[in-house]
Amino acid sequence: MDRQDACPTFFIVNFRLSHIPSKWWRRAAQLLCLFIFLWLFRKTESDGSGSIAYGANIFFRLDPLVAASAVLAGVKFIAALWPALVTVALTLVLGRFFCGWVCPLGTLLDIASHAIPKSTTPPNPRWRVVKYFLLGVVLASAVLSCQIVGYLDPFSILVRGMAVAVDPWMNRAVTAPFTLLYQQTPESVSNFTEPIYAFLKAYLLPFQQNSFAFSIVSFVILVGVFALEFAERRFWCRNLCPAGALIGIFARFSLLRRFPARACGRCKAETDYTARCRMGAFNDRGLLQPESCNLCLDCLDDCPMDLPKFTFDKPKTAPAPFEPSRRLFLGSVVTGMALPLVSGAVHAARCLTADLVRPPGALPEEKFLDLCVRCAECMKVCTTNALQPVLFEAGLDGAFSPRFMGRIGYCEYNCTLCAQVCPTGAIALLPLPEKQKFIMAKAVFDKELCLPFKKAESCITCEEHCPLPEKAILFKDVEVTHPVTKQRVLVKQPYIVWSLCIGCGICETKCPIEGKSAVRMIREEAVPPAVRNDREIMEMPSQR
Amino acid sequence: MKTTHVSAVAQTVTSNRRQFLSQVAAWSAGLLAAPPIFQVFPQSLNAATAEPLLSVGKGTDYEALLVKVFEPLGGIAPFVKKGARVVIKPNMSWDRKPEQAANTHPLLVKAMAKLCLSAGASKVMIFDRTCQDMRLCYASCGTPAAIESLNDPRVTCSFVDDRKFVPVKIQKGRSITEWEFYKDAISADCYINMPIAKDHKLARLTLGLKNVMGVIGGKRGQLHQGLTQKVVDLNTVLRPTLTIVDATRILLRNGPSGGKLDDVKELHTLFASADTVAADAYATTLFGMKPDELETTKAAFAMGLGQMDLNKVKIVKV
Repeated sequence: MDRQDACPTFFIVNFRLSHIPSKWWRRAAQLLCLFIFLWLFRKTESDGSGSIAYGANIFFRLDPLVAASAVLAGVKFIAALWPALVTVALTLVLGRFFCGWVCPLGTLLDIASHAIPKSTTPPNPRWRVVKYFLLGVVLASAVLSCQIVGYLDPFSILVRGMAVAVDPWMNRAVTAPFTLLYQQTPESVSNFTEPIYAFLKAYLLPFQQNSFAFSIVSFVILVGVFALEFAERRFWCRNLCPAGALIGIFARFSLLRRFPARACGRCKAETDYTARCRMGAFNDRGLLQPESCNLCLDCLDDCPMDLPKFTFDKPKTAPAPFEPSRRLFLGSVVTGMALPLVSGAVHAARCLTADLVRPPGALPEEKFLDLCVRCAECMKVCTTNALQPVLFEAGLDGAFSPRFMGRIGYCEYNCTLCAQVCPTGAIALLPLPEKQKFIMAKAVFDKELCLPFKKAESCITCEEHCPLPEKAILFKDVEVTHPVTKQRVLVKQPYIVWSLCIGCGICETKCPIEGKSAVRMIREEAVPPAVRNDREIMEMPSQR
Repeated sequence: MKTTHVSAVAQTVTSNRRQFLSQVAAWSAGLLAAPPIFQVFPQSLNAATAEPLLSVGKGTDYEALLVKVFEPLGGIAPFVKKGARVVIKPNMSWDRKPEQAANTHPLLVKAMAKLCLSAGASKVMIFDRTCQDMRLCYASCGTPAAIESLNDPRVTCSFVDDRKFVPVKIQKGRSITEWEFYKDAISADCYINMPIAKDHKLARLTLGLKNVMGVIGGKRGQLHQGLTQKVVDLNTVLRPTLTIVDATRILLRNGPSGGKLDDVKELHTLFASADTVAADAYATTLFGMKPDELETTKAAFAMGLGQMDLNKVKIVKV
């Protein structure tokens, strides 16, 4: 058979340049994108300049699922998410290439898959429709302002897992032996090991050792995605990934199509190449589903007849029918619509604790949760490790959203990095002078702990560190009776200037008391009005 | 013959692997359980002479000013020997620009590094443990950029590495007996203390003695209770070869971090002395105060760390 006759085309995408197997083009693209992703991840860190030129958030901005759910939930057009339109446009031309050529999670799964044994009984192909169900749930609940994309989006799972768990753990693991060698061996040894450490520090390791609350939870979710490879190759991408489902729907209209659209008899009969397809893209009748094929090009290399081609010609055979049924679609929408009712019921019952403080520039709580996609980029970039993931303190649908914890770190007065890397604008990027006036919280003293009050000892470490040019912590010289010596002594008792304090938290971080700080950040509305003035010493309100 | 010997050895090794591993574990545990405690003896107390020399200069060309201030002291040579490893400890603690007077002026640090190189220093290390994020402080204070312009591999202005803090016994300490010090600082041949003169609510002023806070580890806020004696105790360990106080501009209010240009007063003054206490005493007068109004200076004088009576200090104006 003359193949050119079989495929009368005006344009064939021919990867057979020289003798390089087709899949190597795809592999090269995958490795390049993975490298870019990892490089950007490393670059998502302060360099002291106050701005981040490139950030890993570009992958979130390329993700149409993040864009769709954020726009639906936030009910506003988010200009920063324009790259998602590029992904959609390219998908309409090339098909679901994003999953096979670009997605760093897909690439990592492909790499990991080599080391993971496969189950002897492949899962039921009907698993494939689950991703459409999840997609429907995410989008339908987003319409009703219940944002769950952060729990299911592949980039959220990957970047969050890396930022809060893999990266800090790797840093600890790599640094520990070098520290041991540096501190416990003679200089003749450390003179050799320290340059290696300096090199790693410059190119591989994060600037500082961070640690995050509940990092194990995000890690287990990420590992779970990899563990699914036991069932079959790319189980996550084939069956569960809602972003892949959305891209797949656009891919049904793509111009570039595989020819032939059906696995030929020989392929089915002899070695069943269709079973080798990493995406399981052929349905039970051997028809290719354009929404499943991620253009990995394996079949181009595998076919003994050298038959398959990718062409822009109008296909003669209709593609495999779209799998999800109307019932599944309705079911997902109903489930998605029901979710806000559940979380709404939880909202009604939840009480935000007075110390649940959001990052600087964060939108009001409800709007913030509408837009936050739980990517953890803000936590990754925070120079002082102050931003930590919450678990259920912000309600059922608030898990993994960032919370500011003044005891761990503080908000740098001249820093806007968390807002710079936020892909959806949940943390609004304010100009620096405005950010310096943004009130995250108010500092409140706990007289039961604060040394000048409790032990009649002057300290004012808090006053020293207050970054405001006109300090928001001042002190009074007060004569008190020393609790031990019973003598009259003069102590410096600090107080907050209510109208100036922005709640940056440096006083809470630097407070020398062990354990709980004697000055803590409380959300402004949680501070009783009676103590909101510039002269009195504010005291801890109850934690509600 | 030889081969049998080798295999016999190999056999011994494998059969004793368990023993070997337990030995390794025991050795490692021993090493870990015994953190080294450094004992630093002040090389000399020559700084605490009865009549220390203090050289004061005024000028707007900071590089020339520094060279001028060194003249009465006999130039740089008495302080920096050929091949010496020098530490310059400026104040770079705050995320503030040079004109905000919270950090030592970068041009002075650069000029000092140049001077050390001209004296034949083999290495000049510049660092400070900052109070805010290191990256921001280093970028804002301008010193790393100024040092980079020297383009000399012998001079480094690098971030503080947490692994380099070592516990040190403070044998003369009255309030604290042990604290972590930065290894590079205590092992240097020559330590040049370069504070900026600033307001500080608790200590009243922060000058040369308090600049030691930038080379110590641990939770520094815990030194704030009874700060005076603790700062002096730390100074019994780390005795600067030379203290050069940057009073080119001083911070009068809202210190030590400042931020308002209204609080800054330009004096274009620089002074140096091998006696930190004398330098601090002189600096106090710039704020319209008497040396004995500053508790830290008084306590340091009481412990014999230097001379605070300015009548007994030989002040040379250049």
